Amino acid sequence: MRAGISELAARLRNREISSVELTKAYIDAIEKLNPTLNIYVYLTFDTALKAAEKADQMLDEGDAPLICGIPMALKDNICTDGLPTTCCSRILKGFKPYYDATVWEKLKKQGAVLLGKANMDEFAMGNTSETSCYGAPLNPRNTNYVTGGSSGGSAAAVCANLAVYSLGSDTGGSIRLPASFCGVVGLKPTYGAVSRYGLIAYGSSLDQIGPLTNSVKDAAIVFDAIKGGDRRDQTSVDHDYGSSLAECLERDVKGMRIGVAEEFFDGINPEIKSSIDEAIKLFERNGAIIENISLPALKLALPVYYIIACAEASSNLGRYDGIRYGHRASSYTSIDDMITKTRSEGFGDEVKRRIMLGTYVLSSGYYDAYYKKACLIREEINREFDAVFEKCDVLIAPTAPNTAFPLNYKGASPVEMYLADICTVPVNIAGIPAISIPCGEDSRGLPIGMQIIGRRFGEATVLQAAHFYEQSAGKVIDDYEGGAVI
Amino acid sequence: MAISKTDIEKLAWLVRLSFSDEELERFTAEFDEIIAFADTINQSIEGGTEQIRSVGARMVSFDELRSDEVAPSLSNEKILSNVEGYNGFFSLERSRK
Amino acid sequence: MNYEIVCGIETHIELATKTKIFCGCTTEFGGEPNTHCCPVCTGQPGFLPILNQKVVEYAVKAGLALNCKINTRSHMDRKNYVYPDLPKAYQISQYDEPLCEKGYIELDSGKRIGITRIHIEEDAGKLVHENGYTYIDYNRSGVPLIEIVSEPDISSAEEAKEYAEKLQLTMRYIGISDCKMQEGSMRCDVNLSLRKPGDTKFGVRTEIKNINSLSFIQKAIVAEAERQADILEAGGTIVQQTMRYDEKTDSVAPMRDKENSDDYRYFPDPDILRFSIDEEKVEEIRASLPELPFDKLKRYMNVLGLPEATAKLIFRYRKVAEFFQGALAEGASVKNAANLIVGAIFSNMDTEEEKELFDIRISAAQFAALVKLADEKKINIGVAQGTLQKMLESGKPAEEFIKPEDLAGISDETLERLCREAIDANPRAADDVRSGKDKAINVMFGYIMKKTGGKADIRKAEALLRKLIGS
Repeated sequence: MRAGISELAARLRNREISSVELTKAYIDAIEKLNPTLNIYVYLTFDTALKAAEKADQMLDEGDAPLICGIPMALKDNICTDGLPTTCCSRILKGFKPYYDATVWEKLKKQGAVLLGKANMDEFAMGNTSETSCYGAPLNPRNTNYVTGGSSGGSAAAVCANLAVYSLGSDTGGSIRLPASFCGVVGLKPTYGAVSRYGLIAYGSSLDQIGPLTNSVKDAAIVFDAIKGGDRRDQTSVDHDYGSSLAECLERDVKGMRIGVAEEFFDGINPEIKSSIDEAIKLFERNGAIIENISLPALKLALPVYYIIACAEASSNLGRYDGIRYGHRASSYTSIDDMITKTRSEGFGDEVKRRIMLGTYVLSSGYYDAYYKKACLIREEINREFDAVFEKCDVLIAPTAPNTAFPLNYKGASPVEMYLADICTVPVNIAGIPAISIPCGEDSRGLPIGMQIIGRRFGEATVLQAAHFYEQSAGKVIDDYEGGAVI
Repeated sequence: MAISKTDIEKLAWLVRLSFSDEELERFTAEFDEIIAFADTINQSIEGGTEQIRSVGARMVSFDELRSDEVAPSLSNEKILSNVEGYNGFFSLERSRK
Repeated sequence: MNYEIVCGIETHIELATKTKIFCGCTTEFGGEPNTHCCPVCTGQPGFLPILNQKVVEYAVKAGLALNCKINTRSHMDRKNYVYPDLPKAYQISQYDEPLCEKGYIELDSGKRIGITRIHIEEDAGKLVHENGYTYIDYNRSGVPLIEIVSEPDISSAEEAKEYAEKLQLTMRYIGISDCKMQEGSMRCDVNLSLRKPGDTKFGVRTEIKNINSLSFIQKAIVAEAERQADILEAGGTIVQQTMRYDEKTDSVAPMRDKENSDDYRYFPDPDILRFSIDEEKVEEIRASLPELPFDKLKRYMNVLGLPEATAKLIFRYRKVAEFFQGALAEGASVKNAANLIVGAIFSNMDTEEEKELFDIRISAAQFAALVKLADEKKINIGVAQGTLQKMLESGKPAEEFIKPEDLAGISDETLERLCREAIDANPRAADDVRSGKDKAINVMFGYIMKKTGGKADIRKAEALLRKLIGS
C-alpha cells in the first residue's frame, strides 16, 4: 500500500515509525524487486541510512520540514556530490560530480533520504526509457510494458512503492509521460520555477526538474521544497507564489474556466479520449465552465520541439570528449580520433540521431529554414497560449495519445516513436506548467493519464484543479501489492 | 535521397561522431525520415525577416548582472577528480595503441 | 608596387576584470595549472554561465572611446567547434548583435579607420605539447575578451601600425586592459588583400596570425603584400588561407591547414538571458571615462601650447598626464612643469612600464610648489632640477631643500648692481662685447653667477648687461 508524504510525516512525528525504520523497509523492497524491475541504476543504501539517522535527529528537535526523513529517488541526470551521475550513458560511466544540483542541495538540507539514482533514457532522449545503457526499467503495472520516458525509473519507483517520491526532468514530456504510463502523478513546473543548476542539460530552453508522486498533494509538497530562484541559474525566476502551494489545494471549481483544445485530441486512442471526456464532464457537473478552443500552431509543435531540443542538445553534448571526465577511448591515432572514438563508443543510437539532427538544423545553409523558423513558430505558439489563458484558467488534455507500449516494440521508426510526445511538447515550448494525473485504465489495465495545463507560474490553479479531480474521482491511488511494507 | 552519405559524414565530423559502413547505411535512411519530419514546419507560415535574438521573453537589465567579485575557485584535486591528471594538468596521450 | 593594399585588423583584448566572464574565478595571471577553475569554466555537466557586469561595462567603455554606437539590447551566441582547449566544445561569443558598432579611430593624417564592431567573448584554456602528450590548463579558460574588428580601411603598413598603437593607447587609457602584445593581452590578426588602384572590388584576402608586437604588424604586412604582389605579377591567383608571421625570418607562410573550414553553427545561447543597458547607464559610463588620449594630445598642443614632442611624451601615459594636470591645477606653469617632468623625472625612468606606473614619491601639489618657485624666478631651472631629484629620492617637499636665502631671489636692483659691478670688473670684456665679440659676455655671466651662487636669471642678466654695456 503506497503511502503519501503527509501521512508518513505524521507517523514520523508521532514516533509510530522512525526514518531509519522507514528507510529500511524501502531498502528491503528494493533489494527484492529492483533486480527484476531495473528501476534503480545506482543504490545509496549506506548514505541513505546515515541520512535517515540525521533526519531522525532533525525530527526530534522539532519543526522539521515535511519531507524530512522520507525516502526518495533522483533521476540519474541530477548531480549528486560524490555519487555517480551518468544520465544512463556509457559516456559518463564512473563520472562523480564534486558538487550537488541546487534541487538536491535543498532537499538534503530539509532531511531527504536518497535511496538511489533512477533509470532513464540516455541523456533524457526518449520516451520509453529503453535507450538507457543499463537496459529498460519495467512498468510495475505490467512488466511486459515500458515505463515511458525519459524519467521512467523515477515514475516506476513511485509506482512500485520503492520510493515515496522522486524527482525527474521534463524537456518534452519526460515527467508527465512516464507518470501517465505508470499511473502516478507527475508535475512539470513553469520554466524557470526550479533551478537547472546541476541538471545535466539536454534542451536548455525546455528542461525543468519536477516531482513524481502518489498524490497531487505530495506533488505540491515536493514542488514547495524545490522551487525558487537561484543565482547560479540565470534562467531561474524567484517567483513569489505567496504561500505554500500544498496548503492551498482546496478549491471549489465552480466558475473555473477550463479550455479544451481540439488539437490535443487529434488521433488519440479512443479509450483515452473517453476517459478524458468523463473527467471533463466531472468538472462540468461541479460548475466549471468548459471552453472549446483552438490552438492551430500546435500542429507544428512536434517538429518545432525536436528541432529546438536537438539543436540545443547537439551543442550541450559537445563537451563529452573524454578529456575531463567520463569514458575515454583506449586506442586512437590522434586527439581528434580519440574524441571521435570516445563519442562514437559512448553515445547510443538515439543520442547520435538527435545530435546529428541538431547539427543539421543549425548548419550553414539550413539555419534559417529549420532552427530560425522553429523559433519563430515557437513564438507563435506562445502567443496562442497567452491568448487562450486570457479566457481560461487551465486546459485539460490527454498526456499521451496511447497507453504504455510493449517492451522492445519493433517496427517503430524513430519518427513514429516521437509521436508519443505530441500532447506534452507544446507545454515545454511555451514554458508553462502542467501536471499528469491518472484518470482511468485502458482495456489492458494500463493507466491513462490526463494533463492539466496552466499559465506561466500558475501552478496553484493547476494543482487545485488536479487535487479536486483526484479527490472527487478517486482514481489516483490504486492498491498496489508490492513495494515497501510499512 | 534528401541527404547524401557525404553530407552526413561532414556533419558527423563537425560533432566528432563516426559511423561504420553498416551503421551509416541504416543511419542515412533514418536521417532522411527525420529531416522530412523536420521539414513539415516549412509547410506553414512564411519565415519573416525577424532575427532570433534569444529564446524566452525575459530580459535582464545591466544592474541585475553579476558583480565582479572573486569567488573561491575549486581545488586542483577536485577539478581533476574524474581523470588522472599530471602535475596538475589534464593530460592526453596524443596517440595510443 | 602596382597594387593597393586593402587591410583590416581584428584585435582581441583581454579585459582587466577581477573575475572571468561567466564565473567568479579569478583572472589573476600565473598560478599553478587548474587552480583558478570551477565547474563552469571547465565545462562540467550541469553548469550554467553567469555574465559578469564589469565585462559589459568595460566593453561599453571601449565602444564609447572608439566612437561606436552602443547597442542597448544585446545577447550571447554559441560558436560551436571542437578543440581540446575549449571545454564546452563551444565558445560563448556574440555573432549578430555585437555590443558596439560603427566607430572609428582617427589617424594623425586625419584619415579615419572605421571600426565595424566590438563584441564580448570568452577565452579558451592553454595547451602544452610535450613528449607525445598534450597537457591542458584551464586557468585562462573564461577570461573575458573583447574583439574589435576594423573596416578594411587601412591602406599601408604604417597606417596599420598607427591604428594598432592608437588602439592600444586608448584601451590602456580607459583602464580596461594593459594591452601587452608580448604577454597576449592584446592580439592582432591582420587581413590583407591587394587590388589595382582604382578597382573597387576586393581581391582575395589572407589572414596573418602570430604577430607579437606593433612593429611586427608593420613588417608582416610588408612581407605579405610583397608575397601577394609577386604572385599577382606572375599572373597567379591568391589562395584564401591563414598565414603565420615568422619573426626570425621576417616572412609569412601558410599555417598548417585546419581541416575543412569549420561551420560554427552560431545560435543564441539559451542559458544566458538577453540583456539591456539603458541610455542613462551608457551616459553614466561615458561620464566616467577620462579625457581620451588623442583629445588630450590636441589640447596640450593647441590649447596649452606645448610643443608636439613634449606633448607626445606626456600624454601617452595616463598617470603622467594626470600628474601634469594636477600640477597645473595647483598653479604651476605649463612650460616649466612639462620640462621638469620630461627632463628630470623621466631621466629616472628607463622603461615604458615605469612611465606607465609612474610610481613617484611626491604628489602633484608638491611638484607644483617647486615649479612655481621657478616660475616666480625665485630659483632657476638648474636649482629646480637638482631640488626635484632630492625630492624624488626622499619624498620630502621642496621646503626641506631650499634655504630661505636661496629663495630671497635676486631682486632687480641687486641684479642691476651686480651687472654694473661685472662690467666695471671686466672693462676689456665689455669693450669686446661692444666691438662685436659676443662671447665675451660670458665673462660677465661668470662673475654674476659666482656672486649669486648660480641663482641669477641668466636672461634678465643678459638683457641688463647689454643695456648697460650699450651694445
